[in-house]
Amino acid sequence: MNQRLAEILLESFPRIFTQGLLVTIPLTVLSFALALVIAMACAMIQIADVKVLRQAVRFYIWLIRGTPLLVQLYLVYFGLPDLGIVLPSFPCAVLVFALNEGAYCAETMRAAIESVPKGQLEAGYCVGMSYFQTMRRIILPQAFRTAFPPLSNSLISMIKDTSLAANITVTEMFMTAQRVAGRTYEHLALYAEVAVIYLIFCTVITRLQAFGEKRLARMNGGDVIRA
Amino acid sequence: MGGTEILHGVDLTLDKGEVLAVLGPSGSGKTTLLRCLNFLEKADSGQVIMLGRTINMPSAGRREIAEYRRHTAFVFQNFNLFANKTALENVTEGLIVARGLAKPEAEQIGMKALGKVGLADKADSYPSRLSGGQQQRVAIARAIAAGPDVIMLDEPTSALDPELIGEVLHVIKQLADDGMTMIIVTHEIGFARSVADRILFMDGGNVVVQTGTKDFFEKNDNKRVREFLGSLSERIGLNEHDTQNQKNDSASHSNSASHGKRGRVRKKGGRK
Repeated sequence: MNQRLAEILLESFPRIFTQGLLVTIPLTVLSFALALVIAMACAMIQIADVKVLRQAVRFYIWLIRGTPLLVQLYLVYFGLPDLGIVLPSFPCAVLVFALNEGAYCAETMRAAIESVPKGQLEAGYCVGMSYFQTMRRIILPQAFRTAFPPLSNSLISMIKDTSLAANITVTEMFMTAQRVAGRTYEHLALYAEVAVIYLIFCTVITRLQAFGEKRLARMNGGDVIRA
Repeated sequence: MGGTEILHGVDLTLDKGEVLAVLGPSGSGKTTLLRCLNFLEKADSGQVIMLGRTINMPSAGRREIAEYRRHTAFVFQNFNLFANKTALENVTEGLIVARGLAKPEAEQIGMKALGKVGLADKADSYPSRLSGGQQQRVAIARAIAAGPDVIMLDEPTSALDPELIGEVLHVIKQLADDGMTMIIVTHEIGFARSVADRILFMDGGNVVVQTGTKDFFEKNDNKRVREFLGSLSERIGLNEHDTQNQKNDSASHSNSASHGKRGRVRKKGGRK
């Protein structure tokens, strides 16, 4: 590796990494937190079978899952201004990512809740607990354990998907790398570098997932299948 | 219920301290009857009168049902212990959340209930670490903890390995001896014979016979009951006419099935 390339990489690494900490991570965390709220609401509406709302939720999930994320970003950021709705790029990205991920996570949560045996709810009723008390204290903790690995999947996906926000002028990690590459013409090195940084972030989350799974298993007193 | 009528005009009365066993072939509606009685299934018509209060079953509101369930407890065929709670937490959960007891108080009651079913040493075990028999005993502890007026048991031993049935029947027998009011749906004929005051025999959603336990086994001339008991005694090699076998019959299922008289409490208005 020649010295010029080494210098470019050394100089750009902290810049890209810092941009990751300042933009990519907050974008991911905010969007994902919102997505979980949306997902939870959607799952509960479907489980409780609230008549009209249930239809609305199914429509939302159908719409979001049936259209590309990039198109959704463009629609909201470049399209909505035609209707007089102008959003700054960062909030716009948070909104779109949250709505998008919320639809997928809603299905994860619904499936996880449905995987808890019906008898758990009946047992709750029979000791005098209400639907919501049983949901909160018995059903959801068990469902969350089931939902945790696929939700971690979604989080990891989302970190990488935030690179699409570069298209709507959010200067996150990928755009920062793009700029350095454009200036130095070291495309291979710079895109490999930013890939490594994504890998670092995702590795951290993977570790957190393993830790979280162990904790949840302990809290639920459950055994897991191991050969 | 799904368009098919499962129960047709079932009528039953239970006095305080009485044990009623519901017998009958599979699909006769025993479990449905019990589930309707605790509002786990919605009856299309009918009413339940408990402690002088009448509830119209199809139209009962959430509050009415909740108030009713404060007086009842239910034991499921497959235990339905809260999987994310320890044995003790399973017992105390309802006390704390539904009845608003303080945790220390609830735990004291919980430990007492677990002690009663012989599982005080398993208080901190999760259900997945317990055998089926132990799980069902925890479920019984959960049922008695809040001091219900009646316990409904839906085939409490049907999901258990044969060698674990005895310990559960033993606990239920103790409850009966303590004067607990119970409705037990069961296939354990010998057990029903030793523990129940009355037998309700169902077939095809109808009550065929409702009579005292002794009469049911010894004087019954109903053809359907004869067939049912006949097929069972063939299977387990017992003859229900032979009173001597009565002892073996119950002893084979329960370690301590004694035939001593129970001290019973009868209260006014304790009808259900």
